[in-house]
Amino acid sequence: MDQSVVLIGLANVLSPMNLAVIAGGTLLGLFVGAMPGLSATMALALLLPLTFSLDPATGLSMLASLYLAAMYGGSIAAILLRTPGTPAAAATILDGSPMAASGRAGRALGISLLASFTGGLVSGIALLTVAPLLGRIVLNFGPVELFALAVLGITIIGSLSQGSAIRGLFAGTIGLLLGTVGMDPTTGTPRFTFDNIHLFSGIEFTVALIGLFSVPQAIRLIETSQVGQKLASRVTDRMLPGLRDTLRLAPNMLRSGVIGVVVGLIPGAGGDTASWFAYNEARRFAKDKSRFGKGEPAGIAAPEAANNAVVGGALIPTLALGIPGSSSAAILLGALMVHGILPGPTLMTDHGDVTYTLIWAVILANLALLLFGLFFTRIAVMVTRIPDGVLAPIIIVFCVVGTFAINNSLFDVIFMLGFGLVGYLLDKCQVPLAPMVIGLILGPVLDTSLHQSLLIGQGSWGIFLQSPIATVLLLLAAVSILQATPLFPMLYRRIRKRRNGDGTDPTQMNKTD
Amino acid sequence: MKAIKPLVFAMAAVAAMSGVAKADYIAGESVTVLQGFKAGGGSDALAQLTQPYLTKYLGADFVNQYIPGATGAIAWTRLAKQTEPDGTTISITNTPMLMTNYIMNDAITYSISELTPIANIVTDPGIIVVAKDSPYKTAQEFLDAARKNPGTITVGNSGVGGDDFFSTILIERAADLQFQKVPFQGDGPSWTAAMGGKIDASFNNLGITFPQIQAGNLRPLAIFAEERVDMLPDVPTLKELGIDVVAGSSRGYSAPANIPEEARAQLIEAMKKMAADPDFQKDAAARALFINFKAGSDYEQFLAEQEKTFGEVWEAVKDDVQAK
Repeated sequence: MDQSVVLIGLANVLSPMNLAVIAGGTLLGLFVGAMPGLSATMALALLLPLTFSLDPATGLSMLASLYLAAMYGGSIAAILLRTPGTPAAAATILDGSPMAASGRAGRALGISLLASFTGGLVSGIALLTVAPLLGRIVLNFGPVELFALAVLGITIIGSLSQGSAIRGLFAGTIGLLLGTVGMDPTTGTPRFTFDNIHLFSGIEFTVALIGLFSVPQAIRLIETSQVGQKLASRVTDRMLPGLRDTLRLAPNMLRSGVIGVVVGLIPGAGGDTASWFAYNEARRFAKDKSRFGKGEPAGIAAPEAANNAVVGGALIPTLALGIPGSSSAAILLGALMVHGILPGPTLMTDHGDVTYTLIWAVILANLALLLFGLFFTRIAVMVTRIPDGVLAPIIIVFCVVGTFAINNSLFDVIFMLGFGLVGYLLDKCQVPLAPMVIGLILGPVLDTSLHQSLLIGQGSWGIFLQSPIATVLLLLAAVSILQATPLFPMLYRRIRKRRNGDGTDPTQMNKTD
Repeated sequence: MKAIKPLVFAMAAVAAMSGVAKADYIAGESVTVLQGFKAGGGSDALAQLTQPYLTKYLGADFVNQYIPGATGAIAWTRLAKQTEPDGTTISITNTPMLMTNYIMNDAITYSISELTPIANIVTDPGIIVVAKDSPYKTAQEFLDAARKNPGTITVGNSGVGGDDFFSTILIERAADLQFQKVPFQGDGPSWTAAMGGKIDASFNNLGITFPQIQAGNLRPLAIFAEERVDMLPDVPTLKELGIDVVAGSSRGYSAPANIPEEARAQLIEAMKKMAADPDFQKDAAARALFINFKAGSDYEQFLAEQEKTFGEVWEAVKDDVQAK
């Protein structure tokens, strides 16, 4: 690594103009993220053409800081309104919303902010130090490995279906099936499109998610508005967790940050799954699993650290090799292309000044996030003082505007509202929506990579065992599934018994598996 | 007050410049460009490159409207069927996608007969690339291997219906070969898989893979252009190897059918001036975009020929592809 470009980048980013756009991008990101219906994807797509007239490094700094801030902003709505402000914050609802309902909204938001900051910083440092090294890893992930990773991702459905496995699997299956809509990736045959060209590209995941989560919540708000019961409405407690809490959450945040970097790193793995992966792992490592879903701090820290880490993670292969790790990273790459900078391995050398400015901007944006986040959150909490009957239609308006802006498509708006009704009905039947989201994200990945793998393997399923990475991932998936069945604890107990020579307290099991 | 002075000067300069440049486009002061792909993609790169020059030579502003979906078909359907043919709305048209969309899917109903082709601007020639440590050092070695083991050499393309998919079939037919075609979701994933040794080769595009070729990560074997290109003087064309295939991905501008003749003439004239502008040529080269300028009836003929070729190819391979 050439030291001088690193320093040039640092000097560039500290120019008043760049600092100003980072601040502006962060505030805008917080706003967009906190508004249900307005997604980071939409904001990036809208803002991108505006940055064409800016200096490339400045434009990129703005987009990156917006993206990072939106990742935290999304949790504000997830915690206060029980609807994710951005798709990546959907996992934060699970524990954030119950915590807020018990009057600790400030604490939930503080944990989220600290975790977002930590995750973002982890990925920023990875980007600055080991990007060229990590970037090469991407090349080891072909269709075969991607399929195995997606299979592992699907097993998360099992642990998200706590309470009712049948309902969870049902939702997951619907998600997977919806993922098959659109043109078949290997034959070009339209599937379930009913000759409507708006369905040819498949279901836009962001559109579906806005509908699934935000619309039902708006309806619920109206339903309960007459009852007069309100969520916690003000941050009375201290926001940021104290030193002891921070230390307790630190391993979790670091682990989730690493998960975010890795999932972000691999192109096509679906960066939005990182928060679910991290949530799942936090649960796996927790001593008392029963507290998850009821306002467990670790259940907020994990997804929030992960989704912010995805931002930097996805930029690693983008900047090291010119291979975008996510669709949002592809947008940043597009910004470079439009400026006449060819995306490729020369980004870190020939265009090191621009690239390192961006990397420093990512790191600096985290500091801006922490700073502005504290103020912004206090203002955002006032949202809960708005009467529910007023809030609900506002959410719907944002959903409509935000959905339309993604593809300039009215069809998407109708589709979003349709998903909203489906989400409402499923919720009434107590079908969890999280598995459906996993299915929707990973369905197309599974579909495409399975087809491709079998083509590469000349139709032989043995191809999955020829790749060490794929074999390990598939084994992990198998263990993950077994863990959810009664078989695993039974086996475990038997082994324990044999080793100790006596029966063990069944509650001990949870602590170590 | 200090800041205002330069601002006034700048405004005056802009006014003066536009005063000179404004050729007064008959259709209006602003032209909407429908883009069938997301902002920041290949089409957008062309739009951002060309529009400052087109503004200068046409005397109208350009406003991009992004309507991604169905590989451009949503935007092109709107252009052909729902756009007032007054010359104020045009679109960036990509070949072969413009034609293969409706050739392959009955549900897509526009056709090039409902468009007024203005000009093709750039063509990115097709290329065969392999990993740097691939056993295939030359195109001949690669083709020989394919001949010896029919249907087992894995070749990536950017997706069914894209230019690389069709050039692979054209090559198979011209050289009587059989590859194991692996479609990816775009050019990037296709060359990434080749670079990682996940597939034997990627049939891709020169401009897209050039940074990796330059860095030594990918080895180019053959290009699908008429002649060798300056950037890679040692890489043979398929024609030299006895395979008569010239293919690539082209981008240009088209308007709806039946726009006023004068608007059409002005658009073509502005495009011609732009293509001849040395600054434009330099800018295009810096972005690894290869100018392949075909205006008016030449572009129309090009599109018609492509429609015929791809229509025939698809008719021949359709059952085979969709049976899988």
